Amino acid sequence: MDTRADSGVSEVSIQTMPSYEMHSYRRKVKSIAVWSISFAALAFVMFIILDILLSVISKGVPGLSLKLFATQTSGIAGGLQNAILGTLMLIVISSLISAPLGVLAGIYISLFAPKRFGAVIRFISEVLAGIPSIVIGYFGYMVMVLQWGMGFSALAGGISLSIIILPYIVRTTDASFRQIPKSYLEGAIALGMTPFMATRTVLLKLATPGVLTGILLAVSIALGETAPLIYTAGWSNFDPNLQLIKNPVAYLTYVVWTYLNEPYNAAHQLAYTAALLLVAIVLVLHLLVRLLQRGSIKHA
Amino acid sequence: MLNARIRSRIFQVAAGIAAVSPLLVLLFVAGVLVMDAWPAFKFQGFSFFTGITWNMGNMYASNPIVHNGVEGAPGATFGILPFIVGTIGSSLIAMMIAVPISLLSAFALVYKIPPRYARWISSAVELLAGIPSVVFGLWGMVVLAPIVANQIGPWLTHFGKVLPFLAGPVGSGFGLLTSGIVLAVMVIPIITATSRDLIAQVPKLPIEGAQALGMTTFESIRHITFPMVRRGVIGAIILGWGRALGETMAVLMVSGNATNYLPTNLYSPISTMASTVAALLDGALTDFSKLSIHALALIAVTLLVITMITNLLARLLVQLGRRDVGTEA
Amino acid sequence: MNNFKKVSLMTISTLIGASALGASVSIVPAFAKSHVAHRSASVVKLQETGSTLLFPLFQLWVPAYKKVAPSVQITPSGTGSGTGIQQASDGTVQIGASDAYMSAAQLQTTPGILNIPLAISAQQVMYHIPGVSKKVHLKLTGNILAQIYTGKIRYWNDPQIAKLNKGVKLPHNAIVPIHRQDASGDTFLFTQFLTDTNANWSQTVQYGTSVSWPSVPGALGAQGNQGVVQTAVNTPNSVAYVGISWLDQGLQHGLGEAMLQNKAGKFLLPNNNTIKSAAGAMIGKTPKDERISLIYAPGKNSYPIINYEYAIVNQKQANPATANAVKKLLDWAISPSGGNKAVFMQKVHFLPLPASIQPLSKAQINKIHG
Repeated sequence: MDTRADSGVSEVSIQTMPSYEMHSYRRKVKSIAVWSISFAALAFVMFIILDILLSVISKGVPGLSLKLFATQTSGIAGGLQNAILGTLMLIVISSLISAPLGVLAGIYISLFAPKRFGAVIRFISEVLAGIPSIVIGYFGYMVMVLQWGMGFSALAGGISLSIIILPYIVRTTDASFRQIPKSYLEGAIALGMTPFMATRTVLLKLATPGVLTGILLAVSIALGETAPLIYTAGWSNFDPNLQLIKNPVAYLTYVVWTYLNEPYNAAHQLAYTAALLLVAIVLVLHLLVRLLQRGSIKHA
Repeated sequence: MLNARIRSRIFQVAAGIAAVSPLLVLLFVAGVLVMDAWPAFKFQGFSFFTGITWNMGNMYASNPIVHNGVEGAPGATFGILPFIVGTIGSSLIAMMIAVPISLLSAFALVYKIPPRYARWISSAVELLAGIPSVVFGLWGMVVLAPIVANQIGPWLTHFGKVLPFLAGPVGSGFGLLTSGIVLAVMVIPIITATSRDLIAQVPKLPIEGAQALGMTTFESIRHITFPMVRRGVIGAIILGWGRALGETMAVLMVSGNATNYLPTNLYSPISTMASTVAALLDGALTDFSKLSIHALALIAVTLLVITMITNLLARLLVQLGRRDVGTEA
Repeated sequence: MNNFKKVSLMTISTLIGASALGASVSIVPAFAKSHVAHRSASVVKLQETGSTLLFPLFQLWVPAYKKVAPSVQITPSGTGSGTGIQQASDGTVQIGASDAYMSAAQLQTTPGILNIPLAISAQQVMYHIPGVSKKVHLKLTGNILAQIYTGKIRYWNDPQIAKLNKGVKLPHNAIVPIHRQDASGDTFLFTQFLTDTNANWSQTVQYGTSVSWPSVPGALGAQGNQGVVQTAVNTPNSVAYVGISWLDQGLQHGLGEAMLQNKAGKFLLPNNNTIKSAAGAMIGKTPKDERISLIYAPGKNSYPIINYEYAIVNQKQANPATANAVKKLLDWAISPSGGNKAVFMQKVHFLPLPASIQPLSKAQINKIHG
């Protein structure tokens, strides 16, 4: 019925106005129908999420114990202390590399870059996101582990992860900043602000939620990766330390991936508990970000 | 003031350098891959992309064959058409499922669900992104595959007369459809979370104005919100698509890993390029001629090119759509 | 306060907060313990990686060996035999593990690599046929299996299968052959068995850790032994080869276990007796470098699919201390009072190395130096 689906704001309100007088009943029904489908979609998503989350929780919880956090993996017995610490270490390394790079890059291509350059970087980021993680892993093994002599290490694993999550941070930052009307930046500069000041005082405030969601999403994706780490971080039964190269580290996804494929029930239990811990870490990160966000809004 | 100018300059230069980083990373990774892949292309030529037989050769023989100046294990021949078809097919199905569901969910989350609940639901959706892909694979294997084999599949075959691709036999539940659904579940958080934030950033004023003028909520979103977020949303979709194209572990567990044949219907077992690389890397390492490793690198390069082509196509579609209307800043 | 700093601060503090939270939960109790444990100064770290079939056994060994040599820190991991061989030869790990011995051509490219048997393993064929009682063990031959996996035999009630299994009511259902998608020692053993028993197979597909499977409509590939068992459970009318350590898993899930025909024409299940007698028949044939297939061994009571499980070790280790630690560990592993003890073997259904093979493995271990 409506061929003007993509028309701009001003046009809609002026040109299509008269037709809105008619068919008002049909339009209401249509609106309700679309919303019902949306609710159904959301319900469907929630159903699947709950199904997966509940299965992880119900299978993972029986394996929880204090010992899990206090001891290192030893065969199929023992705890996951080494894997928990190793996972956190890898996440910190990869975010320290990719978050500043990605956010800066996103700001640049959304605000300052020539149009064509911005388009190229956006395109490049999407292509980078499409590289299978196993390929990044093998690349890391050939280049970092062997050629650069890093060995299996936290650094090689962290760099591989940052390659994987960089495009997500770039794209979400870029999208959040582009959402802000251009006039805000122009106005601020007209008032005598430098671009840097305008960015950090006016624009960043508006873009922050989107940027943070992007970083969170990226960190969550990094947490869930196995393939790139097997060939770069290796695996260790012992706690990580500050030696960043030639020192393999443990991580939770390895436990999930490897221990599920073992003939022992105890190993399966440990795998499910490791999956549960991953979900818990993502949850804690979320809560912390939301808490900080709320705090900063109140202060502002 | 001067000081502020300089700081601003430094900031812009630093940001500019950072902006080049994805390009440098891609060039470096792609460069290494292309160099690694070259012998395989020399060995196999263009039949690499059109052949349906993948054979790394007899690695326990000690009489290597030489073809086009490249040494390989006897019997080696590399054709990846089934992997290409499986990759594109499964990711398309995934996007057909994930895009409408994610967008509708995002709109409902922003406009219809009270913020108090929306926050919880959003967090749950984003939690999904942190679940290791192995767990998705396991869910697909234990829960989804039997449902596809016994309920969804048989129901869909009723439409087989209209669309022959939907006709049976349904088989074991491991295949194209199950892979597509699992991939959809994996990319839904990416698209939903990103679009929700974009939609939430749209100023409320024009929407309220439009509704005051008599638009229904749906119309105001369709005509006002959607055009404003469209570019960002498409970016999110392409990003999700990239992930679907490149996913390895979960697909490996539910795709049925068809070897040396093409899918005949929606339920056929398939293999994808990424999962093949992951599954065969270990075996390829034992190839004394190293040709298998080069062939896997060539799969990775091909996937890179396919990702580029799909992205460009998606962009082209957006451009065309825009020209039709002739608006949008 | 400016927003730019705020965001970076927020991100970093969140990450550090989360790390601290995780770390404080886990480090504190361990800290007290580690003070006691780190007495000895010369700690040697050993990395093992490779075969996912040998990995479960290594995992059983780790806690036990900790008591034997507290100063040696061992980390085993299961990544696949090919990875084990590769990483043992490029020196990123000290010990690789493989179900398949290395090919002669591969040895040439990596001189100085040893293939040292640590134990004996076997493989069974399992199936999921609705209506066939779990108490019945279907009789199958390598020749028939080869025809199933090439698509020449398509239905369970094929005359060739029916002839061997009189009294079993076989359905007219299409067989779904399941293979390992990832490269695997199990594939190596199974394809060697088919090569030995079917002329067509030995000409076309041949054997390897990863082969080009003939295209059979509906045929499935699965990831890992666990994946094979799960796929077979989900898929009626399927047949699959499964490493013996997963036998219990398969049986618990209701899969059938086939009796396989050996060289002497008898149909046998894998158990301690049949595996032992097959190994016994092959002892005399084992060469000094111990690279040999034990498939299709002669003897009336010999189960047809067994193999050595290998440690792949570079003769030259990084330093004398590491070399010594590797030697000691491997010596312990093959010793009947150490790693080859029945407690360990039974849990994974392996058999200890026969006494007459021990000296061969020992001689190879002695070649390791710093």
